[in-house]
Amino acid sequence: MPETRLPEQFRDLEQWIGWSLETEGERSDRRQASAMEDITAFYEAMLARMDEALSYLEQFSLEELPDDARRLFYLTLSLAEVAPAVEQFGQPSVVDGYDIKRFVATHR
Amino acid sequence: MSATPNGTPANGNGAAGGYKWHNKYPHLGTGPVSADVFTSQEQFELERERIFKKVWLNVGRVERIPNPGDYFVQDLAVCNTSVIVVRGKDGAVHAFHNMCSHRGNKIAWDQGGTCQNFTCKFHGWSYGLDGKLKFVPDEESFFDLKKETLGLTRVAVDVWEGFIFINVDPNPTETLPEYLGDLATGLEGYPFGEFSTTSTSWTSEVNANWKVIKDAFQEVYHIAFLHKRSIPDSFTSKDNPYAHSLDVTLYPRHGSMSLFGSADYKPSPVAKLAAQHGEIVIRSDFSMDGLPAGVNPLRSEAWSLDLNVIFPAFFVDVSQGSYFTHQFMPIGVDKTLWTSTQYYTRATTPGRRFSQEYGNVIFRDIIMEDGRTFEETQSMLSSGAKKEFYLHDEEILVRHSHHVIDQMLKGQPVDAAFAANGKEAASHA
Repeated sequence: MPETRLPEQFRDLEQWIGWSLETEGERSDRRQASAMEDITAFYEAMLARMDEALSYLEQFSLEELPDDARRLFYLTLSLAEVAPAVEQFGQPSVVDGYDIKRFVATHR
Repeated sequence: MSATPNGTPANGNGAAGGYKWHNKYPHLGTGPVSADVFTSQEQFELERERIFKKVWLNVGRVERIPNPGDYFVQDLAVCNTSVIVVRGKDGAVHAFHNMCSHRGNKIAWDQGGTCQNFTCKFHGWSYGLDGKLKFVPDEESFFDLKKETLGLTRVAVDVWEGFIFINVDPNPTETLPEYLGDLATGLEGYPFGEFSTTSTSWTSEVNANWKVIKDAFQEVYHIAFLHKRSIPDSFTSKDNPYAHSLDVTLYPRHGSMSLFGSADYKPSPVAKLAAQHGEIVIRSDFSMDGLPAGVNPLRSEAWSLDLNVIFPAFFVDVSQGSYFTHQFMPIGVDKTLWTSTQYYTRATTPGRRFSQEYGNVIFRDIIMEDGRTFEETQSMLSSGAKKEFYLHDEEILVRHSHHVIDQMLKGQPVDAAFAANGKEAASHA
């Protein structure tokens, strides 16, 4: 594994690299499988860096993201994934929700 | 329609203000809905024969099959068939029963792809993209085979605004434009094509009657309760605590409801970020520019989105910047394939893609709240403990839907009562 997987100025987010996941299915699975304190810690760490992260990423088009920027981009998508858990539900899954494992994403 | 100065719908429903939607469509009456329509096998068989095998059904969008030879398979258990939908060499969309003319085997066993011919795996009979029988192995050993009469069996197909509809009736009594009627006319000009360059779609086989699912998505009465966590202040406000809708328009079979969007909405930190970088479905600022007359029909500043319920089981719910659909395909009386899809303009920047991802996740989690009710409801319906259900004035699309189904199962023309109501409504005006 390369020593730095994220762009240099975002090395402080390296500890969250496990959230750098390409598909919604993977991100959703990780959210559902994580403890709320881990989700909240990731949420807070990411939220604090989002303005900088999105500004940094705006220099690239989606199709031409370098690998390190792409990993950072996937972290921003994981923030979108966990946001409702923190902001709306206070738990990983939708409170009184349908079984999300049975709600199958047919997109990537 | 009355509205308070800030655009909030007046709480006109109820005895004091008159029953707003009932007064507009009095022919629907005020009676309860019979509980057994959700559990009766006999009712389901009638729905199969008199509704699903007779009307136009949405099976997807043209973006799924952009090039000649691109195809997908739509299983239609409710119509006792499976249909191949293919882009022909002529560029047009064709549909065929997924069945070989030789001995009936299903031609396409997969869910879609790209091909030059459809070749049966059983004995190798091969059909062109136009359905014509092109090749029969060892043809000389057949007896008087008339290949020109043995093509795939066509299914009526037409496209409206990029939405593909099929009709398994060998002789449909209406064209697709006739079927969609004024609902479609009002939506034409909405940038469906532009907004459909990216889609995110989920599907689930639900142990519930298709109408249980449909009804859950065609009323606003539940919002303040079922969605109190996910969207506590998007569709409700101090002045409109029960999310009363802005407007309702019924057609002989279809129906539309224009939903209130609250100025009290306070975006969460991530919602704020998403709104800064792109579109999300529920937003507090938008422009009316370019919207066709059927979208936000009252041109209300307190608008969020419109539900457009295309009979029997397809929703095209439009907002500013994106839209979503729900499709409910019955499998059996208590089993339904539920598909929800959110459509966007393809993002070219990471920020916009992030914004869309937030929109996806929020949408998915909200409908997970809806989804929980389906099987919880169906599981109790079978008890038979309740014989009928009572509907709120804001549940008029539910009332209308059951009324239309009832008429069609009885073989009554759906337009007659509606036309009579139109006269009545005009005389009240």
